[in-house]
Amino acid sequence: MAALPRRIIKETQRLMQEPVPGISAVPDETNARYFHVIVTGPEDSPFEGGLFKLELFLPEDYPMSAPKVRFITKIYHPNIDRLGRICLDILKDKWSPALQIRTVLLSIQALLSAPNPDDPLANDVAELWKINESEAIRNAKEWTRRYAMDN
Amino acid sequence: MGNCLCKNTASHNGRNSSYNTRSSSMAMAKNSYDHPLDLTTQAEPPPQFKFPTLPHIDKLVLEILGVIGLLVDSEQEPPPAMLKLHNIADKEDGWIQVVSSMVNVIPMFNPLGASVITLMLDDCPLPSKDSVLRLSQVFQLSQDHKKTKISATQQRNICVVLGCIAERLAGPSSIAILSDATLDFLLSNLEEDVDPHVILFSLIALEKFAQTSENKITIKNRLLKKDPNPLLSLEKWANQTKYVQRQVGFSAQWCLDNLFLIEGRDYSHNTVDLTGINVMLNTKDVSEYLKISPNGLEARCDAYSFESVRCTFQVDEGVWYYETLIITSGVMQIGWATKDSTFLNHEGYGIGDDQFSLAFDGCRRLIWHNARSERVFNIPCWREGDILGCLLDLNKQEIIFSINGAPLKTCKQLFEKARSGFFAAASFMSFQQCLFNFGNVPFKYPPKDRTFQTFNDHATLNPEEKIVLPRHLFLKELRKFSVREDSCELCFDRKATVKLLPCDHRGFCQECSKQLIECPMCRAPIQEMSIDSNANST
Repeated sequence: MAALPRRIIKETQRLMQEPVPGISAVPDETNARYFHVIVTGPEDSPFEGGLFKLELFLPEDYPMSAPKVRFITKIYHPNIDRLGRICLDILKDKWSPALQIRTVLLSIQALLSAPNPDDPLANDVAELWKINESEAIRNAKEWTRRYAMDN
Repeated sequence: MGNCLCKNTASHNGRNSSYNTRSSSMAMAKNSYDHPLDLTTQAEPPPQFKFPTLPHIDKLVLEILGVIGLLVDSEQEPPPAMLKLHNIADKEDGWIQVVSSMVNVIPMFNPLGASVITLMLDDCPLPSKDSVLRLSQVFQLSQDHKKTKISATQQRNICVVLGCIAERLAGPSSIAILSDATLDFLLSNLEEDVDPHVILFSLIALEKFAQTSENKITIKNRLLKKDPNPLLSLEKWANQTKYVQRQVGFSAQWCLDNLFLIEGRDYSHNTVDLTGINVMLNTKDVSEYLKISPNGLEARCDAYSFESVRCTFQVDEGVWYYETLIITSGVMQIGWATKDSTFLNHEGYGIGDDQFSLAFDGCRRLIWHNARSERVFNIPCWREGDILGCLLDLNKQEIIFSINGAPLKTCKQLFEKARSGFFAAASFMSFQQCLFNFGNVPFKYPPKDRTFQTFNDHATLNPEEKIVLPRHLFLKELRKFSVREDSCELCFDRKATVKLLPCDHRGFCQECSKQLIECPMCRAPIQEMSIDSNANST
């Protein structure tokens, strides 16, 4: 493998030593650029009680370009599509190399607390979220129960 | 490619941009439809027993198998059959039927068969744990499989499916799916009298399950209980000339060195004989999932991404030649690259996909340069055991590939951008493997029309550079690293010496600063960079 930058080693060490509450990010044993992530659904959100699995990959030019993050667990959310792709500005044009794995994951957790149907990725979900929020929230809770409470 | 495109509402339905999100597998995806593949596959009798499914789903699966080798442009729309399949698989029953169809109809000897299963599964919605458990009931997995009526092809396909699901559902679901019955099925396949294709993909499935550490411990313990451990006899196949067995040997050895360690067994890198080997595949210049043999000359990919590697020796002038033994007949792009060629494995780009590399893929019979392909006519697809010759003539600025000594057309296009600094290089789609000869043993088909040099006669490697360390050992070494207090906040590699103006934020090195447009801390546009007088000068 290409030599692993110190930046990644350093971030990994810190994630292990001072984990972020509600978030676990463990590097893959064979690939130090790939992290197995689990985010717990925030309290008082329709995702409460769920454990959401994500994958996070640090591309070759990280930190000059953003990590690639994707939900693996199915989730009913206007800014996350059925393939798990996330619409979040800091993962796109608002990325800064001063951001880190931990700040990215915190932002994703915050996105679960505050869905933004005005900047949707999953159009049908966003539509319902705008027209009938309570039904959308019911769906989100149902999906959380069905897909994110396996164990 | 495949980005969210939030700002671009035109493509906001998520479908047209989703095709190559997970990059993976989409290595095959570059450049326009082409002529049909000449997949002269061995005829197989239809299986006696078929898992229940619907004829139109079988048809869609076969249609995708037929068309996928022709899909060579990642910007291209997915084939309509793929969309139909995706929609069917969106419901639980549909997903199970799609998987059953794949198990029934994907033939053993199609070189793209196994990778197409992973590609289709990757494109289908992720199943719930319940769907997967239901699926294992449909398959009735157990160790008595040998006695049942399902064919070796179906068993192979089931193993491919299990491996793919294990990887995608890594974590608690993967633990749940690795039931006793599934584990019995996979482990009982590791016997020497089982069809080697089934052994191979059982091993790969176990490897993918072992990505979840609890599973790894379970599998390891079960293997240790078997006396002797079946992997120990299978790893002896690593030098077989029967190519399926050879793959089994490679995979068994890799598992023993990387995943299912046995106390008292020495690592292969400590026991391998490296006498006379002066050039290798470079373990410091390879994308992260490619597996390299302990002697540094054989490579294999079992990931769903397009994995690439360069060799250790660089050539700048003269005429050079190396050979590759084709061990699997699927998609590999083998040829020449400079250091400027980048390995974008997750985007499906590899050797031949930029201006700094040129490669031949004998499965689809395409010469690749700058992500464009040119078809080579009048030759069959490559087969296991073929020798690909790669000649680089820097005097005449020519590259000539040959198959078993028969030269293909002369290529010159690489030299528009690259004049020196060339390396042997290759990219691998999932489940592909080949063996390089840089001249440590005689060539099978040395070029006769010109004198040439071989890497092995001119290169040297010191003993340390020759060690192909298993990655878990390599990562262990890395973690011992620490960084200095005054290092750059962005890379932690170099000293922080730069201050950004006008915002006055500091803590960056020169190299990183050069890549910045705005301040990483406050996003203020950078007008000037000055030497930070507060940084200690040492």
